[in-house]
Amino acid sequence: MRPHFDRLYRLAWRLTGAKAEAEDLFQELLIKAFGKLDDLVVIDAPGPWLCRVMYNLFIDEKRRFARGRIHTVEEGQLGGEGIASLPGSDDPVHDNQRLEKLKQLDKALAQLSDEHRMVVLLHDAEGYKLAEIEELTGTPVGTVKSRLHRARARLREILTADGTIS
Amino acid sequence: MQNNDINRQDQEILELLKDYPMPAADAGFYDQALVRATHEGSRRQRNRWLLTGFGAAIAATIAVWMIGGMLLTSQQLPDAGAAIPGVTIALEQSRTVNLVFASATALESATLTVSLPDGIELSGFPGQREITWETSLNEGKNLLPLTLVALKPTGGELLARLEHDERNRTFRLRVDVT
Repeated sequence: MRPHFDRLYRLAWRLTGAKAEAEDLFQELLIKAFGKLDDLVVIDAPGPWLCRVMYNLFIDEKRRFARGRIHTVEEGQLGGEGIASLPGSDDPVHDNQRLEKLKQLDKALAQLSDEHRMVVLLHDAEGYKLAEIEELTGTPVGTVKSRLHRARARLREILTADGTIS
Repeated sequence: MQNNDINRQDQEILELLKDYPMPAADAGFYDQALVRATHEGSRRQRNRWLLTGFGAAIAATIAVWMIGGMLLTSQQLPDAGAAIPGVTIALEQSRTVNLVFASATALESATLTVSLPDGIELSGFPGQREITWETSLNEGKNLLPLTLVALKPTGGELLARLEHDERNRTFRLRVDVT
Protein backbone atom coordinates (compact mmCIF):
# COMPACT_ATOMS: atom_id res chain seq x y z
CA MET A 1 0.00 0.00 0.00
CA ARG A 2 2.89 2.33 0.73
CA PRO A 3 3.41 3.50 -2.87
CA HIS A 4 -0.11 4.97 -2.71
CA PHE A 5 0.27 6.80 0.59
CA ASP A 6 1.23 10.22 -0.77
CA ARG A 7 -1.64 10.27 -3.24
CA LEU A 8 -4.07 9.08 -0.58
CA TYR A 9 -2.86 11.65 1.92
CA ARG A 10 -3.30 14.40 -0.66
CA LEU A 11 -6.80 13.14 -1.43
CA ALA A 12 -7.64 13.15 2.28
CA TRP A 13 -6.45 16.74 2.47
CA ARG A 14 -8.48 17.77 -0.57
CA LEU A 15 -11.60 16.12 0.79
CA THR A 16 -11.42 17.42 4.33
CA GLY A 17 -9.51 20.67 3.90
CA ALA A 18 -7.67 20.40 7.22
CA LYS A 19 -4.71 18.53 8.58
CA ALA A 20 -6.25 16.86 11.64
CA GLU A 21 -9.28 15.63 9.71
CA ALA A 22 -7.09 14.50 6.80
CA GLU A 23 -4.97 12.46 9.19
CA ASP A 24 -8.11 10.98 10.79
CA LEU A 25 -9.49 10.03 7.39
CA PHE A 26 -6.18 8.55 6.27
CA GLN A 27 -5.96 6.57 9.50
CA GLU A 28 -9.51 5.29 9.15
CA LEU A 29 -8.74 4.15 5.61
CA LEU A 30 -5.72 2.16 6.77
CA ILE A 31 -7.75 0.47 9.49
CA LYS A 32 -10.41 -0.45 6.97
CA ALA A 33 -7.81 -1.63 4.47
CA PHE A 34 -6.13 -3.71 7.18
CA GLY A 35 -9.23 -5.87 7.34
CA LYS A 36 -9.12 -6.32 3.56
CA LEU A 37 -5.47 -7.23 3.17
CA ASP A 38 -6.30 -10.55 1.59
CA ASP A 39 -8.51 -8.79 -0.96
CA LEU A 40 -5.90 -6.13 -1.63
CA VAL A 41 -3.42 -8.76 -2.74
CA VAL A 42 -5.71 -9.79 -5.58
CA ILE A 43 -7.10 -6.38 -6.55
CA ASP A 44 -5.61 -5.35 -9.89
CA ALA A 45 -5.41 -1.65 -9.12
CA PRO A 46 -5.35 -1.06 -5.36
CA GLY A 47 -4.70 2.67 -5.80
CA PRO A 48 -8.08 3.58 -7.31
CA TRP A 49 -9.77 1.09 -5.00
CA LEU A 50 -8.21 2.74 -1.95
CA CYS A 51 -9.20 6.18 -3.26
CA ARG A 52 -12.81 5.00 -3.63
CA VAL A 53 -12.85 3.55 -0.14
CA MET A 54 -11.47 6.81 1.23
CA TYR A 55 -14.08 8.83 -0.65
CA ASN A 56 -16.88 6.60 0.65
CA LEU A 57 -15.55 6.88 4.20
CA PHE A 58 -15.53 10.63 3.82
CA ILE A 59 -19.10 10.69 2.53
CA ASP A 60 -20.30 8.32 5.25
CA GLU A 61 -18.78 10.39 8.02
CA LYS A 62 -18.82 13.79 6.42
CA ARG A 63 -19.69 15.65 9.57
CA ARG A 64 -16.77 14.17 11.40
CA PHE A 65 -14.19 14.65 8.70
CA ALA A 66 -15.31 17.97 7.27
CA ARG A 67 -15.71 19.89 10.50
CA GLY A 68 -12.52 21.87 10.19
CA ARG A 69 -12.33 23.32 6.71
CA ILE A 70 -9.60 25.87 6.60
CA HIS A 71 -10.59 29.42 5.94
CA THR A 72 -7.19 30.99 5.56
CA VAL A 73 -3.89 29.86 4.20
CA GLU A 74 -1.18 30.49 6.73
CA GLU A 75 2.42 30.22 5.74
CA GLY A 76 2.88 27.54 8.35
CA GLN A 77 0.43 25.37 6.45
CA LEU A 78 2.42 25.50 3.26
CA GLY A 79 4.41 22.45 2.29
CA GLY A 80 8.19 22.23 2.21
CA GLU A 81 9.79 25.49 3.28
CA GLY A 82 6.62 27.53 3.43
CA ILE A 83 6.32 30.39 1.04
CA ALA A 84 9.82 29.75 -0.22
CA SER A 85 8.45 26.56 -1.72
CA LEU A 86 6.12 28.50 -3.98
CA PRO A 87 7.31 29.36 -7.49
CA GLY A 88 8.99 32.74 -7.82
CA SER A 89 10.42 32.77 -4.33
CA ASP A 90 13.20 35.10 -5.44
CA ASP A 91 10.66 37.92 -5.64
CA PRO A 92 9.26 38.71 -2.16
CA VAL A 93 6.72 41.25 -3.46
CA HIS A 94 5.37 38.81 -5.99
CA ASP A 95 5.29 36.09 -3.34
CA ASN A 96 3.25 38.24 -0.94
CA GLN A 97 0.77 39.06 -3.68
CA ARG A 98 0.50 35.41 -4.55
CA LEU A 99 -0.04 34.40 -0.94
CA GLU A 100 -2.80 37.00 -0.67
CA LYS A 101 -4.43 35.58 -3.79
CA LEU A 102 -4.22 32.08 -2.37
CA LYS A 103 -5.94 33.25 0.78
CA GLN A 104 -8.72 34.74 -1.32
CA LEU A 105 -8.92 31.55 -3.35
CA ASP A 106 -9.31 29.58 -0.15
CA LYS A 107 -12.17 31.82 0.96
CA ALA A 108 -13.79 31.46 -2.46
CA LEU A 109 -13.47 27.68 -2.34
CA ALA A 110 -15.17 27.70 1.05
CA GLN A 111 -18.19 29.34 -0.58
CA LEU A 112 -18.67 26.53 -3.09
CA SER A 113 -20.89 23.55 -2.42
CA ASP A 114 -19.07 20.40 -1.32
CA GLU A 115 -19.63 18.76 -4.71
CA HIS A 116 -18.34 21.76 -6.66
CA ARG A 117 -15.34 22.31 -4.40
CA MET A 118 -14.39 18.66 -4.55
CA VAL A 119 -14.53 18.41 -8.31
CA VAL A 120 -12.57 21.59 -8.93
CA LEU A 121 -9.87 20.62 -6.41
CA LEU A 122 -9.55 17.08 -7.69
CA HIS A 123 -9.51 18.10 -11.36
CA ASP A 124 -7.75 21.46 -11.40
CA ALA A 125 -5.52 21.23 -8.35
CA GLU A 126 -4.74 17.51 -8.23
CA GLY A 127 -4.93 16.69 -11.92
CA TYR A 128 -7.49 13.88 -11.70
CA LYS A 129 -9.08 13.09 -15.05
CA LEU A 130 -12.85 13.35 -15.42
CA ALA A 131 -13.12 9.57 -15.77
CA GLU A 132 -11.12 9.13 -12.57
CA ILE A 133 -13.47 11.44 -10.70
CA GLU A 134 -16.40 9.50 -12.11
CA GLU A 135 -14.89 6.27 -10.84
CA LEU A 136 -14.00 7.79 -7.50
CA THR A 137 -17.31 9.42 -6.73
CA GLY A 138 -19.70 7.29 -8.73
CA THR A 139 -20.98 10.46 -10.39
CA PRO A 140 -21.55 10.25 -14.18
CA VAL A 141 -18.87 12.04 -16.16
CA GLY A 142 -21.44 14.41 -17.67
CA THR A 143 -22.44 15.56 -14.19
CA VAL A 144 -18.79 15.90 -13.20
CA LYS A 145 -18.18 18.09 -16.27
CA SER A 146 -21.17 20.23 -15.48
CA ARG A 147 -20.10 20.67 -11.85
CA LEU A 148 -16.59 21.59 -12.92
CA HIS A 149 -17.93 24.20 -15.33
CA ARG A 150 -20.19 25.71 -12.68
CA ALA A 151 -17.50 25.60 -10.01
CA ARG A 152 -15.05 27.47 -12.22
CA ALA A 153 -17.69 30.02 -13.15
CA ARG A 154 -18.53 30.60 -9.50
CA LEU A 155 -14.87 30.96 -8.56
CA ARG A 156 -14.40 33.47 -11.38
CA GLU A 157 -17.41 35.41 -10.18
CA ILE A 158 -16.19 35.55 -6.56
CA LEU A 159 -12.57 36.31 -7.37
CA THR A 160 -13.36 39.07 -9.84
CA ALA A 161 -15.85 40.62 -7.43
CA ASP A 162 -13.26 40.85 -4.64
CA GLY A 163 -10.55 42.07 -7.00
CA THR A 164 -8.29 39.04 -6.70
CA ILE A 165 -8.28 38.69 -10.47
CA SER A 166 -9.20 41.29 -13.04
CA MET B 1 -17.51 40.19 -20.68
CA GLN B 2 -15.30 39.16 -23.59
CA ASN B 3 -14.42 35.51 -24.07
CA ASN B 4 -10.76 36.48 -24.03
CA ASP B 5 -11.18 37.97 -20.55
CA ILE B 6 -12.94 34.86 -19.29
CA ASN B 7 -10.24 32.61 -20.68
CA ARG B 8 -7.51 34.72 -19.11
CA GLN B 9 -9.28 34.74 -15.74
CA ASP B 10 -9.87 31.00 -15.90
CA GLN B 11 -6.21 30.52 -16.66
CA GLU B 12 -5.22 32.63 -13.67
CA ILE B 13 -7.57 30.68 -11.40
CA LEU B 14 -6.18 27.44 -12.74
CA GLU B 15 -2.64 28.55 -11.93
CA LEU B 16 -3.71 29.55 -8.44
CA LEU B 17 -5.40 26.18 -7.95
CA LYS B 18 -2.24 24.38 -9.02
CA ASP B 19 -0.36 26.37 -6.37
CA TYR B 20 -3.07 25.85 -3.78
CA PRO B 21 -0.93 24.70 -0.89
CA MET B 22 -1.13 21.48 0.95
CA PRO B 23 1.39 20.30 3.51
CA ALA B 24 3.14 16.99 3.20
CA ALA B 25 2.52 14.40 5.88
CA ASP B 26 4.63 14.83 9.00
CA ALA B 27 7.74 12.72 9.18
CA GLY B 28 6.84 9.38 10.69
CA PHE B 29 3.09 9.85 10.25
CA TYR B 30 2.75 7.00 7.77
CA ASP B 31 4.67 4.61 10.03
CA GLN B 32 2.59 5.58 13.06
CA ALA B 33 -0.62 5.26 11.07
CA LEU B 34 0.37 1.76 9.96
CA VAL B 35 1.10 0.67 13.53
CA ARG B 36 -2.22 2.09 14.76
CA ALA B 37 -4.07 0.45 11.88
CA THR B 38 -2.52 -2.92 12.69
CA HIS B 39 -3.56 -2.77 16.32
CA GLU B 40 -6.95 -1.18 15.78
CA GLY B 41 -7.71 -3.43 12.81
CA SER B 42 -7.03 -6.50 14.93
CA ARG B 43 -9.22 -5.21 17.73
CA ARG B 44 -12.11 -4.44 15.37
CA GLN B 45 -11.72 -7.80 13.69
CA ARG B 46 -12.14 -9.56 17.00
CA ASN B 47 -15.18 -7.49 17.79
CA ARG B 48 -16.78 -8.15 14.45
CA TRP B 49 -18.95 -10.88 15.86
CA LEU B 50 -22.14 -9.27 14.93
CA LEU B 51 -22.34 -10.31 11.34
CA THR B 52 -25.71 -11.95 11.17
CA GLY B 53 -26.48 -11.62 7.52
CA PHE B 54 -23.49 -12.60 5.48
CA GLY B 55 -22.88 -14.29 2.19
CA ALA B 56 -19.75 -14.24 0.14
CA ALA B 57 -17.60 -13.25 3.04
CA ILE B 58 -17.91 -16.66 4.56
CA ALA B 59 -16.54 -18.54 1.62
CA ALA B 60 -13.58 -19.49 3.77
CA THR B 61 -15.79 -20.49 6.62
CA ILE B 62 -14.64 -23.70 8.17
CA ALA B 63 -17.14 -24.52 10.86
CA VAL B 64 -20.59 -23.86 12.16
CA TRP B 65 -20.97 -24.17 15.85
CA MET B 66 -24.28 -24.57 17.52
CA ILE B 67 -24.32 -22.92 20.89
CA GLY B 68 -26.73 -21.22 23.20
CA GLY B 69 -29.74 -22.53 25.00
CA MET B 70 -29.59 -26.24 25.55
CA LEU B 71 -26.73 -26.68 23.15
CA LEU B 72 -24.29 -24.84 25.37
CA THR B 73 -24.66 -27.28 28.21
CA SER B 74 -21.79 -29.52 27.25
CA GLN B 75 -18.84 -29.32 29.63
CA GLN B 76 -16.63 -31.50 27.53
CA LEU B 77 -14.43 -31.24 24.51
CA PRO B 78 -15.89 -32.67 21.35
CA ASP B 79 -15.31 -36.35 20.74
CA ALA B 80 -11.60 -36.81 20.12
CA GLY B 81 -12.37 -39.20 17.35
CA ALA B 82 -14.51 -36.72 15.50
CA ALA B 83 -13.04 -35.15 12.41
CA ILE B 84 -11.30 -31.90 13.24
CA PRO B 85 -11.61 -29.16 10.65
CA GLY B 86 -8.32 -27.82 9.40
CA VAL B 87 -6.64 -25.07 7.44
CA THR B 88 -3.28 -24.83 5.76
CA ILE B 89 -1.10 -21.74 5.98
CA ALA B 90 2.09 -21.01 4.09
CA LEU B 91 5.10 -20.36 6.30
CA GLU B 92 5.52 -16.66 7.19
CA GLN B 93 2.21 -15.87 5.51
CA SER B 94 -1.04 -14.84 7.10
CA ARG B 95 -4.45 -16.30 6.48
CA THR B 96 -7.79 -15.18 7.78
CA VAL B 97 -9.94 -17.97 9.09
CA ASN B 98 -13.59 -17.31 9.75
CA LEU B 99 -15.24 -19.18 12.57
CA VAL B 100 -19.00 -19.13 12.47
CA PHE B 101 -21.06 -19.52 15.59
CA ALA B 102 -24.78 -20.06 15.43
CA SER B 103 -26.43 -19.14 18.67
CA ALA B 104 -30.03 -19.95 19.54
CA THR B 105 -30.24 -16.86 21.72
CA ALA B 106 -28.38 -13.61 22.18
CA LEU B 107 -25.57 -13.98 24.71
CA GLU B 108 -24.13 -11.08 26.67
CA SER B 109 -20.66 -11.13 28.21
CA ALA B 110 -19.43 -14.36 26.80
CA THR B 111 -15.70 -15.00 27.15
CA LEU B 112 -13.67 -16.30 24.27
CA THR B 113 -10.18 -17.69 24.70
CA VAL B 114 -8.03 -18.59 21.73
CA SER B 115 -5.05 -20.87 22.42
CA LEU B 116 -2.49 -21.10 19.66
CA PRO B 117 -0.05 -23.88 18.84
CA ASP B 118 3.66 -23.20 18.86
CA GLY B 119 4.74 -21.18 15.84
CA ILE B 120 1.29 -19.78 15.07
CA GLU B 121 0.37 -16.24 16.06
CA LEU B 122 -2.74 -14.15 15.91
CA SER B 123 -2.05 -11.02 13.85
CA GLY B 124 -1.66 -8.03 16.13
CA PHE B 125 -0.65 -10.17 19.12
CA PRO B 126 2.98 -11.04 18.57
CA GLY B 127 4.39 -13.59 21.01
CA GLN B 128 1.05 -14.36 22.70
CA ARG B 129 -0.02 -17.99 22.83
CA GLU B 130 -3.34 -17.37 24.56
CA ILE B 131 -5.65 -14.41 23.98
CA THR B 132 -8.85 -13.85 25.91
CA TRP B 133 -11.54 -11.26 25.41
CA GLU B 134 -15.14 -10.66 26.30
CA THR B 135 -17.79 -10.39 23.65
CA SER B 136 -21.48 -10.71 22.92
CA LEU B 137 -23.24 -12.93 20.47
CA ASN B 138 -26.35 -12.14 18.54
CA GLU B 139 -29.12 -14.58 18.01
CA GLY B 140 -28.35 -16.35 14.78
CA LYS B 141 -25.02 -16.61 13.01
CA ASN B 142 -21.99 -14.74 14.31
CA LEU B 143 -18.73 -14.47 12.43
CA LEU B 144 -15.33 -14.36 14.08
CA PRO B 145 -12.44 -13.71 11.69
CA LEU B 146 -9.01 -14.69 13.03
CA THR B 147 -5.93 -13.74 11.05
CA LEU B 148 -3.30 -16.37 11.72
CA VAL B 149 0.38 -16.04 10.94
CA ALA B 150 2.68 -19.04 10.65
CA LEU B 151 6.16 -18.37 12.03
CA LYS B 152 7.37 -21.97 12.27
CA PRO B 153 6.68 -24.98 10.05
CA THR B 154 5.32 -27.05 12.93
CA GLY B 155 1.59 -26.30 12.95
CA GLY B 156 -0.69 -27.85 15.53
CA GLU B 157 -4.11 -27.43 17.05
CA LEU B 158 -5.85 -24.15 17.75
CA LEU B 159 -8.43 -24.13 20.52
CA ALA B 160 -11.21 -21.56 20.73
CA ARG B 161 -13.04 -21.84 24.04
CA LEU B 162 -16.30 -19.99 24.55
CA GLU B 163 -17.68 -19.57 28.05
CA HIS B 164 -20.98 -18.12 29.19
CA ASP B 165 -22.28 -18.34 32.72
CA GLU B 166 -20.90 -21.70 33.80
CA ARG B 167 -21.21 -23.38 30.46
CA ASN B 168 -18.55 -23.68 27.84
CA ARG B 169 -17.68 -25.21 24.51
CA THR B 170 -14.29 -25.69 22.94
CA PHE B 171 -13.72 -25.60 19.24
CA ARG B 172 -10.64 -27.30 17.74
CA LEU B 173 -8.99 -26.36 14.52
CA ARG B 174 -6.06 -28.17 12.94
CA VAL B 175 -3.49 -25.74 11.53
CA ASP B 176 -0.99 -27.15 9.04
CA VAL B 177 1.93 -25.15 7.76
CA THR B 178 3.50 -25.67 4.36
